[in-house]
Amino acid sequence: MADNPALPRSGVRQDAVRLSPRSRVLLAVAALLGALAFTWPLLLDPGATLAGDDLAPLLFALVLPVVLAVVVAQLTGDDLDVKALAMLGVMSAVVAAVRPLGAGTAGIETVFFPIIISARVFGPGFGFVLGNTGLLASALITAGVGPWLPHQMLAAGFVGLLTGLLPRLRGRAEIALLAAWAILASVVYGWLMDLSFWPFMVGGESTISFDPADGTLANLHRFVVFNLATSMGWNVGRALTTAALVILLGPALLRILRRAARRASFG
Amino acid sequence: MAAVTAPTHPWAWWGWALVAAATVSLTRNPLLVVLVMAAVAFVVLARRSDAPWARSVGAYFVLALVIVAIRVTMQVFFGGLREGPVLFTLPEVRLPDWAAGIRLGGPVTLSGVLFALYDGLRLAAIIICVGAANALANPRRALKNVPAALHELSVAVVIALSVAPQLVESLHRVRRARRLRGGAAKGWRAVTAVLVPVMEDAVERSMQLAASMESRGFGRTRDLGRVGPGLSLLLVGSVLLVTFGSYLLLGVPDSRLAGLACLALGVAAAVLGLRRSGRRLSTTRYRPDRWTWRETAVVAAATAALIVVLVLQGWNPAVLQPTTTPPVWPSLHPLFLPAAALVAAPVLVTERGR
Amino acid sequence: MIQFDDVTIGYGTEPVLDRVSFTIDDGDLCLLVGATGSGKSTLLGAINGLVPHFTGASMAGDVRVDGRSTRQHPPREFADLVGFVGQNPLAGFVTDTVEDEIAYGMEQLGVEATAMRKRVEETLDLMNIADLRRRALVTLSGGQQQRVAIAAVLAAQPRVLVLDEPTSALDPTAAQDVLAAITSLVHDLGLTVVLAEHRLERVMQAADQVLWLPGDGSAVLGAASEVLGRASVVPPLAELAATLGWDEVPLSVRQARRKVAAERIVLRPAAEAVPTTPAGPTPLLRATGLTVRHGDLTAVDGINLDLHAGSVTTLMGRNGAGKSSLFWALQGAQPSTGSLQVDGHDPRRLSPARARELVGLVPQTAADLLHLHTVALECQQSDRESGEPVGTTEGLLRRLGADLVPDRHPRDLSEGQRLALVLAIQLAASPRIVLLDEPTRGLDYPMKQQLADILADLASRGHGVVVSTHDVEFAAHASQRTVILAEGDVIADGPTREVCTASPAFAPQVAKVFHPEQVLTTAEVASRRG
Repeated sequence: MADNPALPRSGVRQDAVRLSPRSRVLLAVAALLGALAFTWPLLLDPGATLAGDDLAPLLFALVLPVVLAVVVAQLTGDDLDVKALAMLGVMSAVVAAVRPLGAGTAGIETVFFPIIISARVFGPGFGFVLGNTGLLASALITAGVGPWLPHQMLAAGFVGLLTGLLPRLRGRAEIALLAAWAILASVVYGWLMDLSFWPFMVGGESTISFDPADGTLANLHRFVVFNLATSMGWNVGRALTTAALVILLGPALLRILRRAARRASFG
Repeated sequence: MAAVTAPTHPWAWWGWALVAAATVSLTRNPLLVVLVMAAVAFVVLARRSDAPWARSVGAYFVLALVIVAIRVTMQVFFGGLREGPVLFTLPEVRLPDWAAGIRLGGPVTLSGVLFALYDGLRLAAIIICVGAANALANPRRALKNVPAALHELSVAVVIALSVAPQLVESLHRVRRARRLRGGAAKGWRAVTAVLVPVMEDAVERSMQLAASMESRGFGRTRDLGRVGPGLSLLLVGSVLLVTFGSYLLLGVPDSRLAGLACLALGVAAAVLGLRRSGRRLSTTRYRPDRWTWRETAVVAAATAALIVVLVLQGWNPAVLQPTTTPPVWPSLHPLFLPAAALVAAPVLVTERGR
Repeated sequence: MIQFDDVTIGYGTEPVLDRVSFTIDDGDLCLLVGATGSGKSTLLGAINGLVPHFTGASMAGDVRVDGRSTRQHPPREFADLVGFVGQNPLAGFVTDTVEDEIAYGMEQLGVEATAMRKRVEETLDLMNIADLRRRALVTLSGGQQQRVAIAAVLAAQPRVLVLDEPTSALDPTAAQDVLAAITSLVHDLGLTVVLAEHRLERVMQAADQVLWLPGDGSAVLGAASEVLGRASVVPPLAELAATLGWDEVPLSVRQARRKVAAERIVLRPAAEAVPTTPAGPTPLLRATGLTVRHGDLTAVDGINLDLHAGSVTTLMGRNGAGKSSLFWALQGAQPSTGSLQVDGHDPRRLSPARARELVGLVPQTAADLLHLHTVALECQQSDRESGEPVGTTEGLLRRLGADLVPDRHPRDLSEGQRLALVLAIQLAASPRIVLLDEPTRGLDYPMKQQLADILADLASRGHGVVVSTHDVEFAAHASQRTVILAEGDVIADGPTREVCTASPAFAPQVAKVFHPEQVLTTAEVASRRG
């Protein structure tokens, strides 16, 4: 073979899953619904149908899968290369395999690492789908299917999508960028997850819970206090582990996946 | 009754479990909640197989207990309900103003604890329903029976489910092999030394898998013609409707009907759109799980329980939401028993999973 | 049936196949032979269009199967015409149970449900795997997996079956099963089969034609007995034919025996036997009652084994007989019970770095030891690990005869090159005992010859060498002593000459031709010929 794949480390990213205009529109609407699904305690109107109850996350647990199905069906539909699909399956297996390595029951910190690196190499569309398939597969393996799963899938999908849209840098700058992004993504993910399941976990009748009558700012204020007191350490720990993984193992994994992407030349 | 041979359709179990979850979500009466929980647990114990996903049901019970415990603890320390008979009093810590009205400590009342307990129990029951579906429905078969539009998604997840255990195996193999090089690499270098061969194998494997799928005709029956604008509109419209419906239910007062209508329309449009885009692929299925009268009966039983509780809600809402201020013993309505019995009824038409 | 018309395929500038034209007839079993790197996989992939559609090679000319051209049709449209089976069946499985895997291809083709049900049953019977139908694919043995992989492509009822070294990972019995299944398909169904296979001795009697790739880009197609006489890849019977001056290569042991009888070839009695264990009162390695358990399974069951410096020993036995477990235990990397002494030390009690100075092991998946992205980096890392001066590993690599491009990615090396690299890395620590687990996988005849020379050289430098292999021809050629394992026990241990000629399963072909004479190689035949 004349071309030696070990040598050039060209920076061309391969988009393994293409984003058609229709996919973009669907993703934009899904982002809107996602924003609603994660921040609903701040938007809830005291007179609204779901105000008297803390079951709003369960509404989203039913609604999000429908929307995710439409978006993922669109992304993986007509022009998905079989090589990209096989890579998606194998990378989802990696996500599922590293998940139990994360500490504790909330051990999601490790899964962002393969998602971020793969999305960096294979592009935003692949990142979004991998976030979904990866978390679904890991939930099926570790029996983690629950009302929280659609939220996790959506969030991980957007982490992948946004990773794919980060500016193109190379070398140390790229790793620094990805590590910073990993910290940001993990912390924001933690906050949003806590926010959306806040009323669900602590119940409506305690003073650290939200009260739709108080208005957005007061609720946000209370949430921040609650979150700092309870799960901030957790979130920061998760963010730092992800960033550490990106810094320590990222270069090796990037190299492997870029080599694969060059050889596969997704059609 | 004739011998039941075919395994129950996995989505029938999901339908049953979700309707049962909807049923318990309507009530805070601990008697009804516990009855339904018991019915669900009974079906799981009677009908689950000994597959790994079926054994996981214990984890959901633990999680359910944790949720109840958190609810009660939060109420004890940060309680907002301070009426009714006082059980004991915790020293109260005065928090500064920035604490946004959070109160730590103070009197702990029976009403507060009971409310937290009832509310927690209801959530626990919902979690157990989901756990039951997890235990009863074979995830691989569930994936096999997704709409054709999600074919690729299900293929990717099926691949992931078979490759993941092999990855763990090769992780162990490579870790053992490190010793053969003297194990000189320490710290994160050692991790890289294990990670790299495992990932190289995984990536190589994905190439071989792709070649195998391609030469066995994957995607051959896909119609590559242009997707009409009607379908695009339908899909985008469905997602918009669902989003708008959710917003109405959460953020706009007195919009129950409009919100629910939007949601229903959106979901219907999504199903229709997925169906239509699925028609572009004409693969067939080997020994598909059949949806027979048994599957319908499984879902119908749960739905009947839901209707019973809905009727009760119209009739006598107080019995479903027992008051805790003042704390009174929740009443046992005679319709609770048939509701729970209906949730348990699927054991009559199904058999133990293989 | 298969028609190559002026086909040129290349990656980059150098063409792998250069203006190749030939036709394979309907119903033929065509054996594809050629050295590693001569383009066998490329040619096989070109039959259903994986090359160039999938691999991104450049191609000129036209390949037609049953009149359908790979120019106009992507590989998936050949699924009902060409069944393609690769080397590693497990990597190509899409589903997880036997039945689902067999149905998978038909699902993709949109075969109707009742027809599919019927065809699955037929295929299960055809490949004789009906009793495995509900088994999970990962729990099957290698031979069973390969038969399932063949069944899975057969279910789509193709007219052509393409197999790329289907037996390279199998033990002799399993390989025999798979090859027997393939030949019966040719006879019973009239399938056209193109089969690439390193160990020709197993299949050449069934081949109608042989397609030989000499390695210069050309292809030679002809009758087996004729082409094999010219081909550079020489199976033992062809070597025998050359030694004895026959024009036609006998294609089976039976043919060769008849010819030997007809020509009244008699062998002189052997000169005195070569001593198997060189004189030396104390063995280099002594294991007593060595036992390895994996959970409930006893992989190695109280084995007693002595190894001496300066000799090559082969370890044979079925897959799962405990060969690998024994190797890992001898290295000390696998916990074991019983006593183990290497040069006065127990490697299990030493640090990994010290243990590898006593026993070096090249594992079956040699690539597990490589994690850097160029050969040169691996060599430097190895020098550091072994505390040797810079350049030691590279020097060893050159001594092993591998001319490697230093900035190559280790994953892009051929099997043989990768084996040489890992062997050089292990030799850098100058271990007293060198263990090689199945190094002959995927090696062609010249490379096996080279490996045999390397092992002899290591032995002459005072290492004790043990190599596990399924390849009886290699064992006969390369070793003085043979140990056979079954279910964790040593069932035979002695000079290769005696052990290998005594048991039919482990006898090389030359031994079978001259049975009951104890003769192992053609070189010996030449020297003992009257």
